[in-house]
Amino acid sequence: MSSKLNRRYPALIAPVLFAIAGFCWEALAEPKRSIKPENESSGTADMQLSGEELWTMNCQRCHNIRPPTMYSNAQWDVIVHHMRVRANITGQEQRAIVEFLKSSK
Amino acid sequence: MKKIFHHFIAHLMPVLVFFVLCGSVDAQDPDGGYVSRKEYEELKQQMLALKKELESIKKEKTVAAQPAASPVPPAAGPSKQIAEPIPSLEDLALGTTKFHIAGYAESTFEAQNRSISSFEASFNPIFLWELTPKLLFESQIELSLGEGGTDVELEFAQMTYLLNDYITLGVGEFLAPSNVFVERFQALWINKLPDRPLAVYDGILPEKIVGAEIRGGFPLGPLRANYAFYVSNGPKLITDDPSAAGMLDWDNFADNNDDKAVGGRVGLFLPVAGLEAGYGFETAKPGDQGTPFAHVRSWLHSVDLNFTRDCDFLKGRIDLHAQYAWTRVDHAVFDPTGALGFGPLSFSNKRDGGYAQIAYRPTKVDVDFLKNFEAIFRWDHLNHAPGGPGAIDEERWTIGLDYWVGPSTALKLAYEWDNPHGQPNTNAFLAQAVMGF
Repeated sequence: MSSKLNRRYPALIAPVLFAIAGFCWEALAEPKRSIKPENESSGTADMQLSGEELWTMNCQRCHNIRPPTMYSNAQWDVIVHHMRVRANITGQEQRAIVEFLKSSK
Repeated sequence: MKKIFHHFIAHLMPVLVFFVLCGSVDAQDPDGGYVSRKEYEELKQQMLALKKELESIKKEKTVAAQPAASPVPPAAGPSKQIAEPIPSLEDLALGTTKFHIAGYAESTFEAQNRSISSFEASFNPIFLWELTPKLLFESQIELSLGEGGTDVELEFAQMTYLLNDYITLGVGEFLAPSNVFVERFQALWINKLPDRPLAVYDGILPEKIVGAEIRGGFPLGPLRANYAFYVSNGPKLITDDPSAAGMLDWDNFADNNDDKAVGGRVGLFLPVAGLEAGYGFETAKPGDQGTPFAHVRSWLHSVDLNFTRDCDFLKGRIDLHAQYAWTRVDHAVFDPTGALGFGPLSFSNKRDGGYAQIAYRPTKVDVDFLKNFEAIFRWDHLNHAPGGPGAIDEERWTIGLDYWVGPSTALKLAYEWDNPHGQPNTNAFLAQAVMGF
Protein backbone atom coordinates (compact mmCIF):
# COMPACT_ATOMS: atom_id res chain seq x y z
CA MET A 1 0.00 0.00 0.00
CA SER A 2 2.70 2.46 1.00
CA SER A 3 4.71 1.68 -2.13
CA LYS A 4 1.63 2.46 -4.22
CA LEU A 5 1.26 5.74 -2.41
CA ASN A 6 4.89 6.58 -2.92
CA ARG A 7 4.47 6.07 -6.64
CA ARG A 8 1.47 8.38 -6.71
CA TYR A 9 2.91 11.25 -4.70
CA PRO A 10 4.64 12.70 -7.79
CA ALA A 11 1.28 12.59 -9.55
CA LEU A 12 -0.20 14.62 -6.70
CA ILE A 13 2.71 16.99 -6.38
CA ALA A 14 2.87 17.86 -10.09
CA PRO A 15 -0.56 19.50 -10.39
CA VAL A 16 -0.14 21.20 -7.03
CA LEU A 17 3.14 22.74 -8.19
CA PHE A 18 1.39 23.70 -11.42
CA ALA A 19 -1.29 25.53 -9.45
CA ILE A 20 1.18 27.17 -7.09
CA ALA A 21 3.18 28.49 -10.06
CA GLY A 22 0.10 30.08 -11.55
CA PHE A 23 -1.04 31.35 -8.18
CA CYS A 24 2.29 33.04 -7.44
CA TRP A 25 2.45 34.54 -10.90
CA GLU A 26 -1.00 36.03 -10.61
CA ALA A 27 -0.41 37.20 -7.05
CA LEU A 28 2.65 39.12 -8.16
CA ALA A 29 0.68 40.58 -11.06
CA GLU A 30 -2.19 41.60 -8.76
CA PRO A 31 -1.46 45.38 -8.72
CA LYS A 32 -2.27 45.49 -12.44
CA ARG A 33 -5.92 44.84 -11.72
CA SER A 34 -7.97 48.00 -12.09
CA ILE A 35 -9.87 49.22 -9.07
CA LYS A 36 -12.47 51.81 -9.92
CA PRO A 37 -13.02 54.94 -7.84
CA GLU A 38 -15.81 54.67 -5.32
CA ASN A 39 -18.05 57.24 -6.98
CA GLU A 40 -17.49 56.20 -10.57
CA SER A 41 -20.70 54.29 -11.03
CA SER A 42 -23.87 53.51 -9.19
CA GLY A 43 -23.21 49.88 -10.07
CA THR A 44 -20.24 49.60 -7.77
CA ALA A 45 -20.36 47.72 -4.52
CA ASP A 46 -18.10 46.69 -1.69
CA MET A 47 -14.42 46.95 -2.50
CA GLN A 48 -15.40 49.29 -5.38
CA LEU A 49 -15.75 46.45 -7.86
CA SER A 50 -18.04 46.89 -10.83
CA GLY A 51 -21.09 44.73 -11.44
CA GLU A 52 -19.22 42.83 -14.11
CA GLU A 53 -16.26 42.15 -11.81
CA LEU A 54 -18.57 41.01 -9.02
CA TRP A 55 -20.48 38.79 -11.43
CA THR A 56 -17.32 37.14 -12.69
CA MET A 57 -15.70 36.84 -9.29
CA ASN A 58 -18.67 35.47 -7.37
CA CYS A 59 -20.14 33.17 -10.03
CA GLN A 60 -16.93 31.74 -11.43
CA ARG A 61 -15.77 30.79 -7.97
CA CYS A 62 -18.06 27.76 -8.13
CA HIS A 63 -19.14 27.27 -11.76
CA ASN A 64 -18.86 28.50 -15.33
CA ILE A 65 -20.56 31.81 -15.88
CA ARG A 66 -23.61 31.98 -18.12
CA PRO A 67 -24.04 34.78 -20.66
CA PRO A 68 -26.39 37.65 -19.67
CA THR A 69 -28.54 36.92 -22.72
CA MET A 70 -29.34 33.42 -21.49
CA TYR A 71 -32.17 34.58 -19.22
CA SER A 72 -34.77 37.34 -19.18
CA ASN A 73 -34.53 40.26 -16.76
CA ALA A 74 -37.18 38.72 -14.51
CA GLN A 75 -35.34 35.39 -14.48
CA TRP A 76 -32.07 37.09 -13.57
CA ASP A 77 -33.86 38.79 -10.65
CA VAL A 78 -34.83 35.40 -9.23
CA ILE A 79 -31.55 33.64 -10.04
CA VAL A 80 -29.34 36.31 -8.48
CA HIS A 81 -31.65 36.44 -5.45
CA HIS A 82 -31.18 32.67 -5.06
CA MET A 83 -27.42 32.98 -5.52
CA ARG A 84 -27.22 35.83 -3.02
CA VAL A 85 -28.60 33.47 -0.38
CA ARG A 86 -26.44 30.53 -1.46
CA ALA A 87 -23.15 32.38 -1.94
CA ASN A 88 -23.60 34.88 0.92
CA ILE A 89 -23.04 37.96 -1.22
CA THR A 90 -24.23 41.33 0.09
CA GLY A 91 -27.33 43.19 -1.05
CA GLN A 92 -25.18 45.87 -2.63
CA GLU A 93 -23.33 43.25 -4.67
CA GLN A 94 -26.60 41.62 -5.69
CA ARG A 95 -27.95 44.91 -7.07
CA ALA A 96 -24.72 45.67 -8.93
CA ILE A 97 -24.69 42.22 -10.55
CA VAL A 98 -28.35 42.41 -11.59
CA GLU A 99 -27.83 45.89 -13.00
CA PHE A 100 -24.87 44.66 -15.03
CA LEU A 101 -26.71 41.60 -16.34
CA LYS A 102 -29.73 43.64 -17.44
CA SER A 103 -27.64 46.31 -19.11
CA SER A 104 -25.49 43.79 -20.98
CA LYS A 105 -28.18 42.43 -23.24
CA MET B 1 -97.20 55.49 -84.78
CA LYS B 2 -97.70 55.17 -81.04
CA LYS B 3 -94.81 52.78 -80.94
CA ILE B 4 -92.51 55.29 -82.70
CA PHE B 5 -93.54 58.01 -80.25
CA HIS B 6 -92.65 55.85 -77.25
CA HIS B 7 -89.28 55.05 -78.82
CA PHE B 8 -88.59 58.74 -79.34
CA ILE B 9 -89.45 59.55 -75.73
CA ALA B 10 -87.20 56.75 -74.52
CA HIS B 11 -84.20 58.25 -76.31
CA LEU B 12 -85.06 61.82 -75.45
CA MET B 13 -85.29 61.31 -71.68
CA PRO B 14 -81.58 60.60 -71.06
CA VAL B 15 -80.64 63.62 -73.11
CA LEU B 16 -83.01 65.79 -71.05
CA VAL B 17 -81.67 64.36 -67.81
CA PHE B 18 -78.09 65.10 -68.97
CA PHE B 19 -78.91 68.71 -69.67
CA VAL B 20 -80.79 69.10 -66.39
CA LEU B 21 -77.82 67.69 -64.45
CA CYS B 22 -75.36 69.89 -66.30
CA GLY B 23 -77.47 72.89 -65.41
CA SER B 24 -77.53 71.82 -61.78
CA VAL B 25 -73.72 71.44 -61.63
CA ASP B 26 -73.27 74.81 -63.22
CA ALA B 27 -75.55 76.33 -60.62
CA GLN B 28 -73.42 74.86 -57.69
CA ASP B 29 -69.99 75.77 -59.14
CA PRO B 30 -69.60 79.48 -59.59
CA ASP B 31 -66.15 79.02 -61.17
CA GLY B 32 -67.57 77.23 -64.12
CA GLY B 33 -66.25 73.70 -63.14
CA TYR B 34 -62.54 74.52 -63.04
CA VAL B 35 -60.14 74.51 -60.03
CA SER B 36 -57.27 76.92 -59.63
CA ARG B 37 -53.62 75.76 -59.40
CA LYS B 38 -53.56 76.69 -55.72
CA GLU B 39 -56.65 74.58 -54.99
CA TYR B 40 -55.18 71.72 -56.96
CA GLU B 41 -51.95 71.79 -54.93
CA GLU B 42 -53.90 71.95 -51.66
CA LEU B 43 -56.04 68.98 -52.65
CA LYS B 44 -52.93 67.07 -53.71
CA GLN B 45 -51.25 67.70 -50.37
CA GLN B 46 -54.39 66.64 -48.51
CA MET B 47 -54.62 63.47 -50.57
CA LEU B 48 -50.96 62.59 -49.92
CA ALA B 49 -51.42 63.19 -46.19
CA LEU B 50 -54.49 60.95 -46.13
CA LYS B 51 -52.66 58.28 -48.09
CA LYS B 52 -49.76 58.35 -45.63
CA GLU B 53 -52.08 58.12 -42.65
CA LEU B 54 -53.94 55.21 -44.24
CA GLU B 55 -50.71 53.32 -44.79
CA SER B 56 -49.71 53.94 -41.18
CA ILE B 57 -53.04 52.60 -39.91
CA LYS B 58 -52.76 49.55 -42.13
CA LYS B 59 -49.25 48.85 -40.80
CA GLU B 60 -50.29 49.15 -37.15
CA LYS B 61 -53.28 46.96 -37.78
CA THR B 62 -51.09 44.26 -39.28
CA VAL B 63 -48.72 44.28 -36.27
CA ALA B 64 -51.60 44.20 -33.83
CA ALA B 65 -53.18 41.27 -35.66
CA GLN B 66 -50.15 39.01 -35.00
CA PRO B 67 -50.95 36.93 -31.83
CA ALA B 68 -47.35 36.43 -30.58
CA ALA B 69 -46.54 40.09 -30.77
CA SER B 70 -49.71 41.34 -29.17
CA PRO B 71 -50.70 39.79 -25.84
CA VAL B 72 -53.29 42.55 -25.25
CA PRO B 73 -56.96 42.02 -26.13
CA PRO B 74 -58.12 43.73 -29.36
CA ALA B 75 -58.77 47.42 -28.79
CA ALA B 76 -61.91 49.27 -29.83
CA GLY B 77 -60.33 50.74 -32.94
CA PRO B 78 -57.06 51.06 -34.80
CA SER B 79 -56.52 54.63 -33.64
CA LYS B 80 -56.58 53.49 -29.97
CA GLN B 81 -53.93 50.85 -30.63
CA ILE B 82 -51.67 53.44 -32.15
CA ALA B 83 -52.08 55.80 -29.24
CA GLU B 84 -51.28 53.27 -26.47
CA PRO B 85 -47.85 51.57 -26.08
CA ILE B 86 -48.14 47.79 -26.21
CA PRO B 87 -46.91 46.18 -22.91
CA SER B 88 -44.28 43.44 -23.23
CA LEU B 89 -45.29 39.81 -22.83
CA GLU B 90 -42.97 39.53 -19.83
CA ASP B 91 -44.68 42.42 -18.02
CA LEU B 92 -48.11 40.93 -18.51
CA ALA B 93 -47.25 37.29 -17.86
CA LEU B 94 -45.28 37.56 -14.62
CA GLY B 95 -47.37 39.79 -12.45
CA THR B 96 -45.79 40.82 -9.18
CA THR B 97 -44.19 37.46 -8.30
CA LYS B 98 -41.35 35.82 -10.22
CA PHE B 99 -40.84 32.13 -10.80
CA HIS B 100 -37.99 30.21 -12.35
CA ILE B 101 -37.04 26.56 -12.71
CA ALA B 102 -33.32 25.79 -12.56
CA GLY B 103 -31.49 22.53 -11.83
CA TYR B 104 -29.84 19.83 -13.88
CA ALA B 105 -30.24 16.42 -15.49
CA GLU B 106 -27.56 13.77 -15.83
CA SER B 107 -26.87 10.30 -17.09
CA THR B 108 -23.89 8.30 -15.82
CA PHE B 109 -22.22 5.06 -16.83
CA GLU B 110 -20.03 3.31 -14.28
CA ALA B 111 -17.91 0.20 -14.73
CA GLN B 112 -16.33 -0.73 -11.41
CA ASN B 113 -14.10 -3.63 -10.55
CA ARG B 114 -16.03 -6.34 -8.63
CA SER B 115 -19.37 -4.75 -9.55
CA ILE B 116 -21.78 -4.96 -12.46
CA SER B 117 -21.46 -2.03 -14.84
CA SER B 118 -24.60 0.06 -15.20
CA PHE B 119 -26.20 3.23 -16.51
CA GLU B 120 -28.16 5.55 -14.29
CA ALA B 121 -29.99 8.83 -14.75
CA SER B 122 -31.53 11.54 -12.63
CA PHE B 123 -33.46 14.77 -12.98
CA ASN B 124 -32.99 17.47 -10.36
CA PRO B 125 -35.27 20.47 -10.82
CA ILE B 126 -34.92 23.48 -8.54
CA PHE B 127 -38.00 25.64 -8.10
CA LEU B 128 -37.33 29.29 -7.32
CA TRP B 129 -40.28 31.46 -6.41
CA GLU B 130 -39.65 35.10 -5.54
CA LEU B 131 -42.80 36.32 -3.80
CA THR B 132 -41.32 39.75 -3.15
CA PRO B 133 -37.82 41.17 -3.73
CA LYS B 134 -37.05 40.12 -0.14
CA LEU B 135 -38.89 36.80 0.15
CA LEU B 136 -37.80 33.69 -1.73
CA PHE B 137 -38.90 30.08 -1.64
CA GLU B 138 -36.53 27.54 -3.14
CA SER B 139 -36.81 23.79 -3.39
CA GLN B 140 -35.00 20.98 -5.15
CA ILE B 141 -36.39 17.54 -5.87
CA GLU B 142 -34.21 14.66 -7.01
CA LEU B 143 -35.91 12.16 -9.29
CA SER B 144 -33.72 9.12 -9.90
CA LEU B 145 -34.10 5.54 -11.02
CA GLY B 146 -33.98 2.88 -8.32
CA GLU B 147 -34.57 -0.85 -8.26
CA GLY B 148 -38.28 -0.48 -7.64
CA GLY B 149 -38.93 2.38 -10.04
CA THR B 150 -38.50 6.12 -9.66
CA ASP B 151 -37.11 7.40 -6.37
CA VAL B 152 -38.19 10.86 -5.27
CA GLU B 153 -36.21 12.79 -2.70
CA LEU B 154 -36.65 16.29 -1.34
CA GLU B 155 -33.18 17.85 -1.38
CA PHE B 156 -34.18 21.19 0.13
CA ALA B 157 -37.27 23.31 0.66
CA GLN B 158 -36.54 26.63 2.29
CA MET B 159 -38.06 30.07 2.74
CA THR B 160 -35.60 32.94 3.08
CA TYR B 161 -36.09 36.59 3.97
CA LEU B 162 -33.53 39.30 3.22
CA LEU B 163 -33.48 41.29 6.46
CA ASN B 164 -30.94 43.82 5.16
CA ASP B 165 -27.89 43.93 2.89
CA TYR B 166 -25.89 41.72 5.25
CA ILE B 167 -28.38 39.39 6.97
CA THR B 168 -30.65 36.71 5.50
CA LEU B 169 -32.99 34.55 7.58
CA GLY B 170 -34.09 31.09 6.46
CA VAL B 171 -36.29 28.26 7.71
CA GLY B 172 -37.13 24.83 6.36
CA GLU B 173 -34.97 22.07 4.96
CA PHE B 174 -31.68 23.37 3.61
CA LEU B 175 -28.23 22.19 2.58
CA ALA B 176 -25.88 22.06 5.56
CA PRO B 177 -23.87 25.30 5.68
CA SER B 178 -21.14 23.57 7.70
CA ASN B 179 -20.34 21.43 4.65
CA VAL B 180 -19.21 23.80 1.91
CA PHE B 181 -18.97 21.05 -0.71
CA VAL B 182 -22.65 20.22 -0.38
CA GLU B 183 -23.74 23.86 -0.44
CA ARG B 184 -21.70 24.92 -3.44
CA PHE B 185 -20.17 22.12 -5.48
CA GLN B 186 -22.32 18.98 -5.25
CA ALA B 187 -24.56 19.74 -8.25
CA LEU B 188 -23.20 17.53 -11.01
CA TRP B 189 -23.01 20.35 -13.56
CA ILE B 190 -20.74 22.15 -11.07
CA ASN B 191 -18.85 19.14 -9.68
CA LYS B 192 -16.20 18.52 -12.33
CA LEU B 193 -15.88 14.75 -11.93
CA PRO B 194 -18.74 12.28 -12.48
CA ASP B 195 -18.82 11.27 -8.80
CA ARG B 196 -18.45 13.17 -5.54
CA PRO B 197 -15.59 12.96 -3.04
CA LEU B 198 -15.49 10.62 -0.09
CA ALA B 199 -16.07 11.93 3.44
CA VAL B 200 -17.79 15.19 2.46
CA TYR B 201 -20.55 13.46 0.46
CA ASP B 202 -22.32 10.34 1.74
CA GLY B 203 -19.66 10.37 4.43
CA ILE B 204 -19.04 11.93 7.80
CA LEU B 205 -20.63 15.36 7.28
CA PRO B 206 -24.27 16.48 7.15
CA GLU B 207 -25.82 17.23 3.77
CA LYS B 208 -29.36 18.44 4.32
CA ILE B 209 -30.85 19.51 7.60
CA VAL B 210 -34.14 20.79 8.97
CA GLY B 211 -34.09 23.94 11.07
CA ALA B 212 -33.49 27.67 10.90
CA GLU B 213 -30.49 29.66 9.77
CA ILE B 214 -29.05 33.16 9.64
CA ARG B 215 -26.49 33.98 6.96
CA GLY B 216 -24.92 36.68 4.86
CA GLY B 217 -21.73 38.46 3.92
CA PHE B 218 -20.09 41.75 4.77
CA PRO B 219 -16.96 43.73 3.91
CA LEU B 220 -14.16 43.51 6.43
CA GLY B 221 -11.62 46.18 5.53
CA PRO B 222 -9.95 45.04 2.34
CA LEU B 223 -11.41 41.55 2.80
CA ARG B 224 -14.90 40.15 2.60
CA ALA B 225 -16.35 37.71 5.10
CA ASN B 226 -19.33 35.41 4.80
CA TYR B 227 -21.13 33.45 7.47
CA ALA B 228 -23.97 31.00 8.07
CA PHE B 229 -25.15 29.75 11.47
CA TYR B 230 -28.00 27.35 12.07
CA VAL B 231 -30.04 25.39 14.58
CA SER B 232 -31.35 22.03 13.41
CA ASN B 233 -32.73 18.69 14.53
CA GLY B 234 -29.22 17.29 14.41
CA PRO B 235 -27.94 13.77 13.74
CA LYS B 236 -28.98 10.52 15.36
CA LEU B 237 -26.46 8.22 17.04
CA ILE B 238 -26.76 4.66 15.72
CA THR B 239 -26.62 2.26 18.67
CA ASP B 240 -28.28 -1.00 17.67
CA ASP B 241 -26.80 -1.83 14.26
CA PRO B 242 -23.74 -4.11 14.60
CA SER B 243 -22.31 -2.80 11.33
CA ALA B 244 -22.81 0.91 12.09
CA ALA B 245 -22.84 1.33 15.89
CA GLY B 246 -21.34 4.68 16.86
CA MET B 247 -21.92 6.30 13.50
CA LEU B 248 -24.07 9.38 13.03
CA ASP B 249 -27.21 9.16 10.92
CA TRP B 250 -27.51 12.59 9.30
CA ASP B 251 -30.93 11.91 7.78
CA ASN B 252 -32.58 12.40 11.14
CA PHE B 253 -35.48 14.48 9.89
CA ALA B 254 -37.86 13.41 12.64
CA ASP B 255 -35.84 14.40 15.69
CA ASN B 256 -35.01 11.78 18.33
CA ASN B 257 -34.56 14.19 21.24
CA ASP B 258 -35.16 17.75 22.47
CA ASP B 259 -31.56 18.77 22.00
CA LYS B 260 -30.89 20.78 18.86
CA ALA B 261 -27.69 20.83 16.86
CA VAL B 262 -25.86 24.12 16.45
CA GLY B 263 -23.49 24.70 13.58
CA GLY B 264 -22.24 26.99 10.91
CA ARG B 265 -19.43 28.12 8.72
CA VAL B 266 -17.35 31.27 8.45
CA GLY B 267 -15.53 32.05 5.22
CA LEU B 268 -13.00 34.74 4.46
CA PHE B 269 -12.05 36.01 1.03
CA LEU B 270 -8.36 36.67 1.28
CA PRO B 271 -6.59 39.66 -0.31
CA VAL B 272 -5.59 37.53 -3.31
CA ALA B 273 -8.59 37.55 -5.62
CA GLY B 274 -10.29 34.20 -6.02
CA LEU B 275 -8.94 32.75 -2.76
CA GLU B 276 -11.27 31.81 0.09
CA ALA B 277 -10.64 29.92 3.32
CA GLY B 278 -13.43 28.60 5.52
CA TYR B 279 -14.15 26.80 8.77
CA GLY B 280 -17.31 24.84 9.49
CA PHE B 281 -18.52 23.16 12.65
CA GLU B 282 -21.49 21.45 14.30
CA THR B 283 -22.16 20.12 17.76
CA ALA B 284 -25.14 18.11 18.98
CA LYS B 285 -26.39 15.47 21.38
CA PRO B 286 -27.34 12.71 18.95
CA GLY B 287 -28.50 10.00 21.37
CA ASP B 288 -32.12 8.91 21.74
CA GLN B 289 -33.96 10.76 24.48
CA GLY B 290 -34.30 8.81 27.74
CA THR B 291 -31.51 6.34 26.94
CA PRO B 292 -27.96 6.07 28.34
CA PHE B 293 -26.81 7.74 25.12
CA ALA B 294 -28.84 10.91 25.71
CA HIS B 295 -25.86 12.83 27.08
CA VAL B 296 -23.34 11.75 24.46
CA ARG B 297 -22.13 14.76 22.49
CA SER B 298 -20.80 14.86 18.96
CA TRP B 299 -18.55 17.39 17.26
CA LEU B 300 -17.52 18.02 13.72
CA HIS B 301 -14.97 20.42 12.33
CA SER B 302 -14.28 21.16 8.70
CA VAL B 303 -11.72 23.39 7.00
CA ASP B 304 -11.77 24.30 3.34
CA LEU B 305 -9.74 26.24 0.82
CA ASN B 306 -11.06 27.37 -2.53
CA PHE B 307 -9.19 29.15 -5.29
CA THR B 308 -10.34 29.97 -8.81
CA ARG B 309 -8.37 32.23 -11.07
CA ASP B 310 -7.84 33.02 -14.73
CA CYS B 311 -4.12 32.90 -15.22
CA ASP B 312 -2.35 34.52 -18.19
CA PHE B 313 0.85 32.68 -17.38
CA LEU B 314 -0.82 29.28 -17.72
CA LYS B 315 -3.13 30.42 -20.53
CA GLY B 316 -6.18 29.18 -18.71
CA ARG B 317 -8.18 28.88 -15.52
CA ILE B 318 -6.97 27.13 -12.39
CA ASP B 319 -9.60 25.78 -10.05
CA LEU B 320 -8.53 24.38 -6.69
CA HIS B 321 -10.83 23.03 -3.99
CA ALA B 322 -9.84 21.23 -0.82
CA GLN B 323 -11.80 20.28 2.27
CA TYR B 324 -10.94 18.16 5.28
CA ALA B 325 -13.23 17.20 8.15
CA TRP B 326 -13.03 15.51 11.54
CA THR B 327 -15.88 14.11 13.61
CA ARG B 328 -15.79 12.94 17.19
CA VAL B 329 -18.42 11.32 19.41
CA ASP B 330 -18.04 11.09 23.19
CA HIS B 331 -17.13 7.75 24.72
CA ALA B 332 -20.01 5.30 24.90
CA VAL B 333 -20.49 1.55 25.32
CA PHE B 334 -22.71 -0.01 22.69
CA ASP B 335 -24.75 -3.13 23.45
CA PRO B 336 -23.42 -3.12 27.05
CA THR B 337 -25.25 -6.32 28.03
CA GLY B 338 -24.50 -8.21 24.84
CA ALA B 339 -28.22 -8.63 24.19
CA LEU B 340 -27.83 -7.44 20.60
CA GLY B 341 -25.05 -9.88 19.94
CA PHE B 342 -22.14 -7.51 19.29
CA GLY B 343 -21.33 -5.95 22.66
CA PRO B 344 -20.13 -4.70 24.88
CA LEU B 345 -18.40 -2.51 22.31
CA SER B 346 -16.34 0.56 23.05
CA PHE B 347 -13.84 2.34 20.83
CA SER B 348 -12.35 5.73 20.06
CA ASN B 349 -15.17 7.17 17.99
CA LYS B 350 -13.29 9.50 15.68
CA ARG B 351 -13.43 9.73 11.89
CA ASP B 352 -11.80 11.98 9.40
CA GLY B 353 -11.55 12.46 5.68
CA GLY B 354 -11.53 14.92 2.87
CA TYR B 355 -10.41 15.69 -0.63
CA ALA B 356 -8.22 17.93 -2.74
CA GLN B 357 -9.05 18.64 -6.34
CA ILE B 358 -7.33 20.69 -8.98
CA ALA B 359 -8.66 21.46 -12.44
CA TYR B 360 -7.20 23.29 -15.40
CA ARG B 361 -9.04 24.60 -18.44
CA PRO B 362 -7.05 26.30 -21.23
CA THR B 363 -9.47 29.18 -21.69
CA LYS B 364 -6.82 31.52 -23.08
CA VAL B 365 -5.24 29.41 -25.79
CA ASP B 366 -5.76 30.40 -29.41
CA VAL B 367 -7.44 27.16 -30.50
CA ASP B 368 -11.17 27.38 -29.79
CA PHE B 369 -11.64 23.62 -29.69
CA LEU B 370 -9.11 23.22 -26.87
CA LYS B 371 -10.79 25.89 -24.76
CA ASN B 372 -13.68 23.53 -24.08
CA PHE B 373 -11.56 20.81 -22.46
CA GLU B 374 -10.85 20.67 -18.74
CA ALA B 375 -8.48 18.29 -16.99
CA ILE B 376 -9.17 17.31 -13.38
CA PHE B 377 -7.17 15.52 -10.73
CA ARG B 378 -8.59 14.55 -7.33
CA TRP B 379 -7.43 12.79 -4.22
CA ASP B 380 -9.96 11.81 -1.57
CA HIS B 381 -9.98 9.52 1.42
CA LEU B 382 -11.97 8.48 4.46
CA ASN B 383 -10.74 7.05 7.76
CA HIS B 384 -13.26 5.31 9.96
CA ALA B 385 -13.02 4.87 13.71
CA PRO B 386 -10.15 2.50 14.54
CA GLY B 387 -11.53 -0.61 16.21
CA GLY B 388 -15.08 0.35 15.41
CA PRO B 389 -17.59 -1.49 13.23
CA GLY B 390 -18.70 -0.42 9.81
CA ALA B 391 -17.08 0.48 6.57
CA ILE B 392 -13.36 0.19 5.98
CA ASP B 393 -10.95 3.03 5.30
CA GLU B 394 -10.77 4.07 1.69
CA GLU B 395 -8.50 6.15 -0.51
CA ARG B 396 -9.01 7.14 -4.13
CA TRP B 397 -7.07 8.91 -6.87
CA THR B 398 -9.04 10.11 -9.85
CA ILE B 399 -8.18 11.70 -13.16
CA GLY B 400 -10.82 13.15 -15.42
CA LEU B 401 -11.35 14.99 -18.65
CA ASP B 402 -14.40 17.15 -19.36
CA TYR B 403 -15.60 18.61 -22.61
CA TRP B 404 -17.84 21.66 -22.08
CA VAL B 405 -20.53 21.82 -24.74
CA GLY B 406 -21.92 24.95 -23.08
CA PRO B 407 -21.45 26.87 -19.82
CA SER B 408 -23.43 24.26 -17.92
CA THR B 409 -23.43 21.26 -20.24
CA ALA B 410 -20.55 18.81 -20.15
CA LEU B 411 -19.39 15.38 -21.19
CA LYS B 412 -17.14 13.85 -18.52
CA LEU B 413 -14.78 10.90 -18.52
CA ALA B 414 -12.87 9.70 -15.47
CA TYR B 415 -10.81 6.82 -14.19
CA GLU B 416 -10.63 6.16 -10.47
CA TRP B 417 -8.05 4.16 -8.53
CA ASP B 418 -9.97 3.02 -5.47
CA ASN B 419 -8.17 1.29 -2.60
CA PRO B 420 -10.32 0.07 0.28
CA HIS B 421 -7.90 -0.80 3.08
CA GLY B 422 -7.06 -4.53 3.07
CA GLN B 423 -9.41 -5.28 0.18
CA PRO B 424 -8.98 -5.84 -3.57
CA ASN B 425 -9.20 -2.62 -5.50
CA THR B 426 -12.50 -1.29 -6.79
CA ASN B 427 -11.09 0.80 -9.61
CA ALA B 428 -13.74 2.33 -11.82
CA PHE B 429 -14.31 3.95 -15.18
CA LEU B 430 -17.01 6.60 -15.26
CA ALA B 431 -18.67 8.54 -18.05
CA GLN B 432 -21.31 11.17 -17.60
CA ALA B 433 -23.37 13.63 -19.61
CA VAL B 434 -24.83 16.48 -17.59
CA MET B 435 -26.87 19.52 -18.46
CA GLY B 436 -27.55 22.41 -16.09
CA PHE B 437 -30.39 24.80 -16.79
